[in-house]
Amino acid sequence: MLPAAPDEWTIQEAAHLLRRAGFGGSPAEIASFHALGRYRAVDSLLSPAEPVDAFVLPEWAKRETAAAEMRERAVAQREMRRSMQDMTPERADRTRREFNQQQQRLYRQRGVEAQGWWLRRMLYTKAPLREKMVLFWHDHFASSIQKVRQPVLMMGQNELFRRHATGSFKDLTHGILKDPAMMLYLDTQTSKKGKPNENFAREVMELFTLGEGNYTEQDIKEAARAFTGYNLNRQNGTVFHNRRQWDGGDKTVFGRSGKFDGDDVIEVLFEQAAAASYVPRKLWEYFAAENPPEEGVAALARSFKAADFQVEPLLREIFRSQAFYSDKIVRNQIKSPIQFLVQMFKELELESPPHAYTVSAQQQLGQVLFTPPNVAGWDWGKAWINTNTLLTRYNVAGFITKGSQETPKPARNNGDDSMMTMDDAGMGMDMQMEQMDRRQMRVSNQLQRAQQNWDGPDYEKIAPRPLREDPEKLVDSLVQRFFQTPLGAKERGAFVEYAVSKKGAIFTNKEVGELCHLMMSTPHYQLD
Amino acid sequence: MKTRREFLRSTILGASATWTVPMFVERTFADLHMGARDLATQGVTGKDGTILVVLQLAGGNDGLNTLVPYADDAYHSARPRLAKKEKQIIKLSDHVGLNDSMPFLGSMFKEGNLGVVQGVGYPNPNRSHFVSTSIWETADIQNRSSTGWIGRYFDNACTGADPTVGISLNKTQPESFGAARNPGVCLSSPELYRWIHGGGEKARAEEFFASLNSPEDDDSPVDGASIDMPAGGKVGGIDGESNLAFLERVAMDARVSSAKILELAAKHRTKVNYEGTPIARSLNMVSRLIAGGMPTRVYYVSHGGFDTHNQQVNSHDRLLGQLDRALKSFFADLKAQGNDKRVVLMTFSEFGRRVGENASAGTDHGRASCMFLAGDAVKGGLYGSHPSLTDLDQGDLKHSVDFRGVYASVLEGWLKTPAKPVLKGDFARLGVMG
Repeated sequence: MLPAAPDEWTIQEAAHLLRRAGFGGSPAEIASFHALGRYRAVDSLLSPAEPVDAFVLPEWAKRETAAAEMRERAVAQREMRRSMQDMTPERADRTRREFNQQQQRLYRQRGVEAQGWWLRRMLYTKAPLREKMVLFWHDHFASSIQKVRQPVLMMGQNELFRRHATGSFKDLTHGILKDPAMMLYLDTQTSKKGKPNENFAREVMELFTLGEGNYTEQDIKEAARAFTGYNLNRQNGTVFHNRRQWDGGDKTVFGRSGKFDGDDVIEVLFEQAAAASYVPRKLWEYFAAENPPEEGVAALARSFKAADFQVEPLLREIFRSQAFYSDKIVRNQIKSPIQFLVQMFKELELESPPHAYTVSAQQQLGQVLFTPPNVAGWDWGKAWINTNTLLTRYNVAGFITKGSQETPKPARNNGDDSMMTMDDAGMGMDMQMEQMDRRQMRVSNQLQRAQQNWDGPDYEKIAPRPLREDPEKLVDSLVQRFFQTPLGAKERGAFVEYAVSKKGAIFTNKEVGELCHLMMSTPHYQLD
Repeated sequence: MKTRREFLRSTILGASATWTVPMFVERTFADLHMGARDLATQGVTGKDGTILVVLQLAGGNDGLNTLVPYADDAYHSARPRLAKKEKQIIKLSDHVGLNDSMPFLGSMFKEGNLGVVQGVGYPNPNRSHFVSTSIWETADIQNRSSTGWIGRYFDNACTGADPTVGISLNKTQPESFGAARNPGVCLSSPELYRWIHGGGEKARAEEFFASLNSPEDDDSPVDGASIDMPAGGKVGGIDGESNLAFLERVAMDARVSSAKILELAAKHRTKVNYEGTPIARSLNMVSRLIAGGMPTRVYYVSHGGFDTHNQQVNSHDRLLGQLDRALKSFFADLKAQGNDKRVVLMTFSEFGRRVGENASAGTDHGRASCMFLAGDAVKGGLYGSHPSLTDLDQGDLKHSVDFRGVYASVLEGWLKTPAKPVLKGDFARLGVMG
C-alpha cells in the first residue's frame, strides 16, 4: 500500500483531485467537493449515484434500433443486388457506389453525433471519474472509427468501457476479445485455422496486458492460433466462435500447453508477472505523473494482484496516497486536448458549448474521440505539445472566450490546409483518404456556421460587475477560476497590469473576455 | 530570419519598453549578445544550401510489393493472391521491378535520379510498429536514445540555428527530431500558425501575450540556459526538463517561427497541380516553404496506411499511387522554382511485411524492406542485394543493408556532416550520394 494522506485537505488539493480524477469544475463545484473531506470525496468519485445508463443514447445507437436497422440494411442490400442483375455493368456499378456513399454519409454524420454525445457526457456527468476511466480504456484498448466505420459498434465499445470502467480489468480484456469494433479494428474476424492473422495476438500482449519485451515471437505465433475462429456477423453485430475455423490443436504459450481458445490464452496472460504491473503503471501515469518510481509501481502491482485485477481498490489507493498530492505532481501534468476542452468549458460555466467547433478543435489539437491514431492510442504528456498545437490551443481559447463577435474568421480550410489529415495518416489505418478530404470540407463548413452564432461565456456570472471595480480582485478571482492556485509574481503582475490598462471608464464583457483569453494563452494554463 | 537569441534581444526588449525589465533579464541579454556572435558559423542553409525531405511510410510498407522480385518463383508461390505479375511491374533489372502504381518513380529511375536500396533493416528486428518506428527515428537499435537522429544532426551541425532548421508537416513531432537543444518546429497550416488575438487594441494584447510566452525564470543561471533550453526526446523533452520549462520553450519557438513562416508560405503559389491527398498537400507545403526561402535543412512528412493485414492489394497499390503522384507534382514544382538540385527526398518505413500472405489476403509484420532516395543529386540505381525469398529467418527476409548506412550516406554525402557523432557509430556508406 502507498502511504495515505490524512482526511483533512486544502481546497487546492480538492481542486487537484477533481481535475485529475475528473475534468475540473467551477469554483462552486470545487468548494462543495472540498467540503466532503478527502476520503468521502474519493468515495464519491468511485461510487457515483449516477447510473451507467443516465444519458440517453442517440436513437441509432440503441440496441433494438440498431438490430432492426441492420436487418433492414441486409434486405435493402439483397434487393439492390437482385435489381442489379438486370442492369448494365456501368449502371450496376453506379448503383453500388451510390448505396455505399449513402452509407458512408450516414456513418460520418453519426460519428460526429457520437463524438458530441460523449463529450457532452464528460461535461455534464455527475460521475466524472467514470468518464475519465472510459477515456483511459479507449486509449488503452484503442480502436478507431476510421477503420471500424460503423459508429454503432464504437458506441457499443464505449458502453463496454463504461460498464467495466472501475471493475475487473481481466473481465474487460475477455470482453474486448469479442468486442465487434475491436474485432474489425484488429482483423480478428478474418483469422482462420491454418492461416492465423497475428494482429490481435501481438497487440493483446504488447499493448493490452504485458507490455513490450514481456513475451516472445513464439508466444505470439502460438496465441494467434488460439485467436482463430472468432466471427462477427456484420448484419446484427453478434460475435460467435466458429469451431470449424478455429485451430483446435495444442498450443504452447508462456510454457503452458493446451487446446487453447482465445479466452484460455487471456487467462494465461493474466498469470504472467507483468500483467500485475502493466496497467497500474499506466494508471499512475494517467492520473499522476510519468516515470513513476519503481517501488511505487511494485506496491500498486501487489494490490492489483491481491484484488484479482479489480481497478476500483487500486484507484482508491492512488487518490488517497500522499504521493498523489505532492508538489511534484500538482499542476505539473500537461492537459490532454480533451481535458483542455472539457475543463475550459467547465471553468467558463458554459451551458452549451458550440458543438461543431468542439469537433473541429479536437482535430486541430490532436485528439479526436473515437479516432486514436493507432492501436497504441495517443501519446500523452509532452507529446501533446508542439509549436503547432500550442498556438492552436491559444486560438481555440480565443474563440471560446470571445465568441464570434470578437474573433476574426480564421483562415478558411482551403486546399492548402491539411489541419486534420496529417494525423489521420497515422499507422494502422486502411482508410479512404479521399473521403477524409471531403469530411474535412464539411467540418470546415460546420465550423463556419458555428462561428457565426457563438456568443461566448456569460461574463456577468463569471465576473460580476462589482468585482470589475478592482482590477487586482478581478485578476485574482479569474486566476482562482482558471488555475486554482496562486500564480508566480510575473504572470500575476502581467495580468494585473493588463487589467489596469483596460480599466478606463467601463470594464465591459469584451475586456473580461480578452483577459480570460490572455490567461489561457500561457504555458501555465496548459498544465493541470 | 532571426534566431531565438536575436529575437529575444531585439523584440522583447523593444516591445516591452513599458515594462520594468527585471535585472536578471538584462544580464541574460547581455550574455546573449556575446552568444549571438557565433551566428556566422551556423549550419542553416541560406538560400542555396542543401535540403533533405524525409518521407515516412507509416505502418510498415510491404517492400516485396513495392520493389517486386518478379523473376523469383518463390515470390509467386508465397503470395498466390498478392503477387504482382510480370506485366504489372516496371522492370528495373532482370530480377526486380517497381509496382506499376509508380510510373513517375519508374521514369526517375530511368533518368538516373532514383536510388533504390534493397533489403534494408537492422539486426534483431522488432515487429512492434511503435518500437520499430522508434528505432528508425532514433537510429538506435537498442532503442534507448532520448534524441532522434535528425535532432542529433541539428545539435551537432546546426548550433545557433533558428528553430525552423527542421520543420515537420505534422501535428505531432516526429521522434527523429528529438534534440538536446533544437528540436525544430511542427505546423500543419501556415495560415493558422500564429496567435489570433482579434478585437481592438491588438498590439497591446500581443505585447502582453509575448511577455507571457517568453521563458524567464528567476532561478535560472544568467548564461541564457533558460532560453536555450534543452529539448527533444521520446516525447519532446529530455529527462529533467520540467513540463513548464518545456512549454515555455515551445511557446518561444512558436513565436519566433510563426510570423516568418506565415509570411513565406504566402509568398509562393505553385503553378503545378497537386492532388488533394494528405501526402500531396504536405509536399506542396514543403515546396512553398522552400520557394519562400526558409533556412530549413530537414523537412519531415508522413504518408500513412501501410499496415496492410487485410485485403492488401487495393489499398497498397492505392497508397503507392498516391505517393507517386505526389512526388511527381513535388519534383515538377521544385524544378519550376529552380530548386530541384537542392533537394533530396528519402523514404523509410518501420519494417517490411512477411513473405507469405495471410488468410485475410494481407501480410503481417515482417522485417527487411526497401528505401527510395530521389533527387537530382542522387546517383540512381539499385543498391544492396535483393534478399533471398527462400533463405528466410522465421518466414522473414534477412536484411543486407543496415538503415544507418543509408543515413550515414545522406548525412555525409548530402548534408555534409560527419555521420559518426550523429549515429554514434560507423556504418558503411553506399555510393548513392555520389
